[in-house]
Amino acid sequence: MTGRLLASVPTAGAPTATEATRRFSWSRAREVSANQLFLVPVALVFVVLLVVPLTQTFYWSLTDFSGYSADAKFVGLSNYGKVLTDPSMLAGLGFTLAYTIGTAVLITAFAIPLAVVLNKKFFARNLVRSVFFFPAVPSIAILGLVWGYILSPLGSGVLNSVLDSLFGAGPYPWLSDATLARLSVIVVAVWGGMGWHAVLYLAYLQSIPADYYEVATIDGASARQQFVHITLPLLTPAIVISNFLLMTGGLKVFDLPFTLTKGGPGYSTYTITQSIITSGVAQGRYGLASALAVLFTFAVGLVAVAQLWVSRRIERRVL
Amino acid sequence: MKLRSILAALTALVMLAGCGGSGGSGGGDGKLTFFSWDNEETMRPVIAKFEEQNPGVKVEFSNAPPVAEYISTLQSRILSGTAADVFVIAAENKTNLINGKHVVDLKDKPFLANVPDFNKTTYSGPDGAVYGLSVASWGAGVLYNQDLLAKVGATSVPKTWDEFLALCKKLKDAGITPYLESVQAMSTPLAAFLGAQNAAAGNQMDSKIFDGSAKFTDYWVEPLTQWSRLWQEGLVTRSVTGLTGDQVRTEFSNGRTAMIVAGPWDVPGVRKEAPKLKIAMAPIPGIAGGKPYLAGAASPGYAINAKAKNKEAAEKFLAFLDTPEAMALYQKATGAITVTKDFQPQLDEALTPIVSDVRAGNVYLPQIAWKRAEDILNVEATAQLQLLVQGKATPEQVAAALDTKLASTS
Repeated sequence: MTGRLLASVPTAGAPTATEATRRFSWSRAREVSANQLFLVPVALVFVVLLVVPLTQTFYWSLTDFSGYSADAKFVGLSNYGKVLTDPSMLAGLGFTLAYTIGTAVLITAFAIPLAVVLNKKFFARNLVRSVFFFPAVPSIAILGLVWGYILSPLGSGVLNSVLDSLFGAGPYPWLSDATLARLSVIVVAVWGGMGWHAVLYLAYLQSIPADYYEVATIDGASARQQFVHITLPLLTPAIVISNFLLMTGGLKVFDLPFTLTKGGPGYSTYTITQSIITSGVAQGRYGLASALAVLFTFAVGLVAVAQLWVSRRIERRVL
Repeated sequence: MKLRSILAALTALVMLAGCGGSGGSGGGDGKLTFFSWDNEETMRPVIAKFEEQNPGVKVEFSNAPPVAEYISTLQSRILSGTAADVFVIAAENKTNLINGKHVVDLKDKPFLANVPDFNKTTYSGPDGAVYGLSVASWGAGVLYNQDLLAKVGATSVPKTWDEFLALCKKLKDAGITPYLESVQAMSTPLAAFLGAQNAAAGNQMDSKIFDGSAKFTDYWVEPLTQWSRLWQEGLVTRSVTGLTGDQVRTEFSNGRTAMIVAGPWDVPGVRKEAPKLKIAMAPIPGIAGGKPYLAGAASPGYAINAKAKNKEAAEKFLAFLDTPEAMALYQKATGAITVTKDFQPQLDEALTPIVSDVRAGNVYLPQIAWKRAEDILNVEATAQLQLLVQGKATPEQVAAALDTKLASTS
């Protein structure tokens, strides 16, 4: 405030208006260009690692490139036609969508209450917090292998033998039945991601001033009312970020379903990324895999933009 | 001052890099690059011996684990022109390597004389050229727990599939899990049925399917039907589709199942987990009058890069690789069933019933025998077999799905 006032007071010996503007613009330009200089490495990395490969992928998607020889024939849009009619790729699309929506909804539904509980003071709180955070530490591929043993469909599988000794039930074909396999993959993903997202919510929860709750308590609001009218609205930015990460991560998922079920039984837990990797690398169909990758990039982009648009509107309405 | 110190550092770096570079190109015949899918521990003794015998040559070794990672690494190196002089050619990339003219024809090389025809044909082109030196083979059959078999009075292994199923029934009635197999890849019994059928038909089955004069439905329906009896007749749980090969082996080692399908690589693991178990391996019993047969294939071969910088040393290296000396070192490290004529591998006695067939090349694996689109068909076949095991597809539908897939790739 003082700065602006001082600047508006004309002083003796001050440069004329035009001179001031010119000098101002020069220094400003220098400042801007200095700032932008910092962007050069980032832009370079962006172009080299993202724009170039994406353009190349688009180019290869129009050819019959095998990955082994650079002289590929131009085949127009036929790769796109093949992708859109291949049953395994369509199955991959279906499960990827189910996985993305399923994990996003379930993780959000579990992580918020978990964060609220972890935010309260209780004995060994830090220990409990780290226990829930733990699944986010090891690689998902390792979790997949471990869960593969837990969910083994045989009677000797960990979960099946527990169920048998407790209730005399089972054995259940956790990873062998199409529906159960889909569910199992999603449940393991929720188990693995819940703690991490709870920590994200926890960070936002801690930024909510305690006064709000004090005032609400004085006004006689119940715990449920406090949660619905204070906590949830103030967590909206966290919900937006968490869901954005869940949606983009879910669409790109590969490691967990692959290590748990290899995409089976049949194509029931096949993912789009598995499709891209299998057809591109092992099967020497780079052109086809590129076409799938291009469509997939567009789809992810669309979902991301749509999600941001919707969440902005929600945020604006709530806050 | 600052600039000078930076310059000094740069000069030092350049000199260091120069030293590293000149070190490799020192001796007479120079440097040979070798890209393998076996790890360094396996290949190091072989390479050391080769370098000892060829003082002028220094082997620069690199590797990537099989299969997908190896294939993709080799693929990108070939495309960028930086592939090694000698590399591994496998069933998964042979068509692409051969069609792209990335590998040298070894047909007339003297070292190939030591290798059985089966291993040569596996890596051969349409014109009789041979592109890989394959020094080992593998065969997979049924691994029997002889103690559990004895419990139901079985003293010998079944020769026909009907006998095998009857044995399964007997074991099941005695409260023993009779048999397990992981259905996450091509089925071993199915491959063996098809192999026996192919051998009986003069090895023409796949040529006919791929030249369009026959269909998968002509050959596959009966083997699929016989294989699926395991589930149709309730002898094995349909849950097996979710099992990995390791899980199956653990069940067997713990004495919880009497028979599994297994390859030579499973035997050391079983020995380690259950040293006291009495085990034996045997070919898969035959169907419809066919003989017992093994699923299996020639191991990946060593190929010479068409653009190799040191072709002479590459040939020397391949010639060395199938000498008895090199084979002894390789066999010790891998336990593989080697096939070269002048070396007798030392193998676990449980493998005795299958060794002569494997070494003679009496083994069959569809994805190796297929003429093109191997991996595309293999992925489709695996998914279809899982549906068949689940009872969600019929043998006719599975075979027809393969025909459809093959048609879509041409």
